[in-house]
Amino acid sequence: MKCSYACGSDDHLLSRRRFLGGLAAGVGVASQFGFSKFVQPSIATELQNQAKQILVIWLAGGASQLETWDPKPGTETGGPFRSIDTSVPGTRISELLPKTARLMHHISLVRGINTKENDHAKGQYMMHTGRPEMPGVAHPHFGSMAAKYLGSEANPLPGYIHITPGGGGRTGTESAYLGPKYAALYLGNGQPPSHTTRPGLVDEKGETLRHDLRRRMNDRFASRRRTAETEAYTTTYEQALQLMTRREVFDVTKESVQDQERYGNHDFGRHCLLARRLLESGVTYVQVSHSNYDTHNENFTFHLEQVGEFDQGYSNLIDDLAARGLLKHTLVVVMSEFGRTPQINYLYGRDHWGTAWSIALAGCGIKSGIVHGRTNAKGTEVTDGEVNAGHLYHTYLRAVGLNPTEDLDVDGRIIQLGDPAGAAIKELLA
Amino acid sequence: MREHHSKFVTIFVGWFFIAGFAMDGVAEDGRTKPLHERIDREIEAKLEGQVIAPAAGDAEFLRRVWLDLAGMIPTAEDARDFLDDPSAYKRTALIDRLLSRPSFARRMQTVFDVMLMERRTDQHVPAAEWREFLRSAFARNLPYDQLVREILTADGTDPTRRGAAKFFLDREGQPNLLTRDVGRLFLGRDLQCAQCHDHPLISDFKQAHYYGLFAFFNRSYLVADDRGAMTFAEKADGDVSFSSVFKKKIVHTTRPRIIEGPEVPEPVVPKGQEYRLAPGEKIRAIPLHSRREHLPERITSPDVPEFSRTIANRLWAMMMGRGIVHPLDMDHGDNPPTHPELLDLLTKEFAHEQFNVKTLIREIALTRAYQRSSEPPPSQSPSESNPEALAVALLKPMTPEQIAWSLMQAAGIVTRQQKEVEHQLFEVDTKFRDITTLDEKRQALRAESVEKTVYERLQGNVQPFTARFGSAAGQAENPGQSNVDQALFLANDNLVLQWFSPGTGTLGERLLAKKEASEFAEELYLSILSRRPTASERDEVARYLGERGTDRAQAIREFAWALAASTEFRFNH
Repeated sequence: MKCSYACGSDDHLLSRRRFLGGLAAGVGVASQFGFSKFVQPSIATELQNQAKQILVIWLAGGASQLETWDPKPGTETGGPFRSIDTSVPGTRISELLPKTARLMHHISLVRGINTKENDHAKGQYMMHTGRPEMPGVAHPHFGSMAAKYLGSEANPLPGYIHITPGGGGRTGTESAYLGPKYAALYLGNGQPPSHTTRPGLVDEKGETLRHDLRRRMNDRFASRRRTAETEAYTTTYEQALQLMTRREVFDVTKESVQDQERYGNHDFGRHCLLARRLLESGVTYVQVSHSNYDTHNENFTFHLEQVGEFDQGYSNLIDDLAARGLLKHTLVVVMSEFGRTPQINYLYGRDHWGTAWSIALAGCGIKSGIVHGRTNAKGTEVTDGEVNAGHLYHTYLRAVGLNPTEDLDVDGRIIQLGDPAGAAIKELLA
Repeated sequence: MREHHSKFVTIFVGWFFIAGFAMDGVAEDGRTKPLHERIDREIEAKLEGQVIAPAAGDAEFLRRVWLDLAGMIPTAEDARDFLDDPSAYKRTALIDRLLSRPSFARRMQTVFDVMLMERRTDQHVPAAEWREFLRSAFARNLPYDQLVREILTADGTDPTRRGAAKFFLDREGQPNLLTRDVGRLFLGRDLQCAQCHDHPLISDFKQAHYYGLFAFFNRSYLVADDRGAMTFAEKADGDVSFSSVFKKKIVHTTRPRIIEGPEVPEPVVPKGQEYRLAPGEKIRAIPLHSRREHLPERITSPDVPEFSRTIANRLWAMMMGRGIVHPLDMDHGDNPPTHPELLDLLTKEFAHEQFNVKTLIREIALTRAYQRSSEPPPSQSPSESNPEALAVALLKPMTPEQIAWSLMQAAGIVTRQQKEVEHQLFEVDTKFRDITTLDEKRQALRAESVEKTVYERLQGNVQPFTARFGSAAGQAENPGQSNVDQALFLANDNLVLQWFSPGTGTLGERLLAKKEASEFAEELYLSILSRRPTASERDEVARYLGERGTDRAQAIREFAWALAASTEFRFNH
């Protein structure tokens, strides 16, 4: 039956016939090697050619740049830790990152960040959307943008998965005007998503029978009424079934014992390994949150432990992604909502500091082993290469092949992908 | 003599008949056709010579009008009654019946709650109070302009009227947010991009318009009163000036005004007399001259045609699935309405009829356009099938609330609850029962009581659906977007399957009792899809029952689920 509604829309990225043609062969067959096994070879290639991916490690609370990427040992702001050499001559980072230091040739640092924002929520919003928070308008997070513009309609796995220390499920607010379809799926404490197993009230035979029934009914209905929205609706059930057969992708214990040990017997280690697993399975955007860096007191003891865990997980991720050939099409970002004050307070802590801090970048579209921007001797201000959240966001988008100056038509409103006031940091782009 | 007499009677009756119909819509300017007929003529004028879909079949119409006016599908019994009713006037009778049920007020409450609060989480006013305020307004058929004035006057100080204050208070009284939302929801204009400069692409949206609205709110702020309840207060000073980011040196000032309308004059107040009640700790300041106070009257006045135009467009969109101006908050010269004269007609009529919501909805429901089939005729060209043309009815995705309530209705949960509530509230004491059925007014009150109690008891079941099918807080509703999460929930959560399991008073129980496959099929289809099964569908049911063997409960759950998960159920067609 001819489909006369909205044929050019996003929901028709792959036509129904092509998709179901591939599915009919694939349904019920478990595969460990990526969704491409379910789709006809010609489409698989088409999909893989576009398959840029993103990994973000979110150091929640505001990680101290002085205890990570921009140490100032021996100064009144430097604290007790030293700096160490890295695999990039001339670049030194905190001694709390020994494993990462050996892989510095894959990584680039941005040391001149001045976001002028010391508030957790505002800083978080700004770093995830590339724009300052304004009342009356919400912008989508990087993950939702990636899910929509880099993700594929054929992928049964959600495009934006966020592994968090706690919580779980979906809130839907981060996708803003892109809609709930591109909201994040939160894996609370790395647990698999809910509703991915057959319900107790249906047995195996019933499962097959009821879905066959549903398909037959939908085919009959579609012969008389068919729109982009009805197509999208019926497709989500096929995606759900695929996701159910793929649910072991969320099970990190399926990785080798050696890998589990290597990443570390702590939550962050497990979450990093899960992130690798999800990236290998073709998830477009994976975010891992590590908590808690908001060290208003005991900054040094907390960072010693936290950065130690981070070093182990992150270094293994970089190493594995590089070794498996994934790093060249995966952008890896390590960031926080802000940094921490050079001034040490009376509780041996550091407070919120958006004035001169750092993030680390690696992978797709980014030059490796360079340092952009610098701060003064005590780390109290940026002396060169000052950038803000808008510049960073533009840079990420360019790195994965998106155009941050492109306009989106959001139901009649024209909104630019990246903040119009921003521009990519050219020196960082490969 | 007899001949003359009967001729006279015929002429007299004939004249009365014509005059009777002409009574609708007669006015000084000589309008003689009912509004629904005039609406259809506007639409059909543009469809001259094109292929138009026929009227929807009875089952199509039945389900559509129940969803649109009652917020859920009909029971199997209501469906059967309607489908088997031979009367030629049954459609109009059904419309009128649905408009008089308490479920109409509930449906309108839901539509306006989502439209005006956009699923924001509760801050200072509990959702239940706000929703009861809305429901009660629609139950009394409060004129829409009065409803809006109540919302825009509410400041939270009156403890009996805090519900209405949710619009302001739960936006934290934030002036930029209020400017944007008042512009979008009441004037059909999303002025957000005109905050920093004249809108770059839309010449009708100017920065001056943004700040004219902003000036109603710029002095307002939230403050807790001495009982700790948050209220909306206002200072006596504060001016609004703005400049374009492109021409920073040119600074404009504005007083409160609505789009191009006159500014609210600012009286000169002698120093020391700016406040009726001066601000202080835990004192809610009351200025002598309030800017915000002028908003409700001005925005609902006949001098602001955008107000009635926007609501006419939104009520049209609620019934038809798409605004005449679409998107609903993009009413400007570069986004013309698909039917400009039609929108003008609705706008004028709605204002003329004192913003009577029920009347306008009734007229829309009576149109051929509303009652058209949603199945495109095979001979229709792509442009004729274009939803804008109105030559075929649009498929409307069910809202999260409609999905949840329709599933409960289909499973017999609503009816079971209604019977329990009727019994508990009104039947236990026979004297009380007799009083409450004494006359129509008391019966209506009783029906309203029952509906309220049933709603309170079952409302909790709606949350998993709004969480997954509803838009994010603060975002315009977009019920058509499907995602894999929704499918996983509907397929694998035991909730829906439990509803279709045999339990006292449920569909499952009724189906278990149907021994004959054809009866089984009919009860199943009427309950869930509000229509009778075709012959081949009956066969399919019989085969399924045969295949499933002795475990009838299994078969019921699975088959009912398949119908509930089907496109035919999910969409209002």
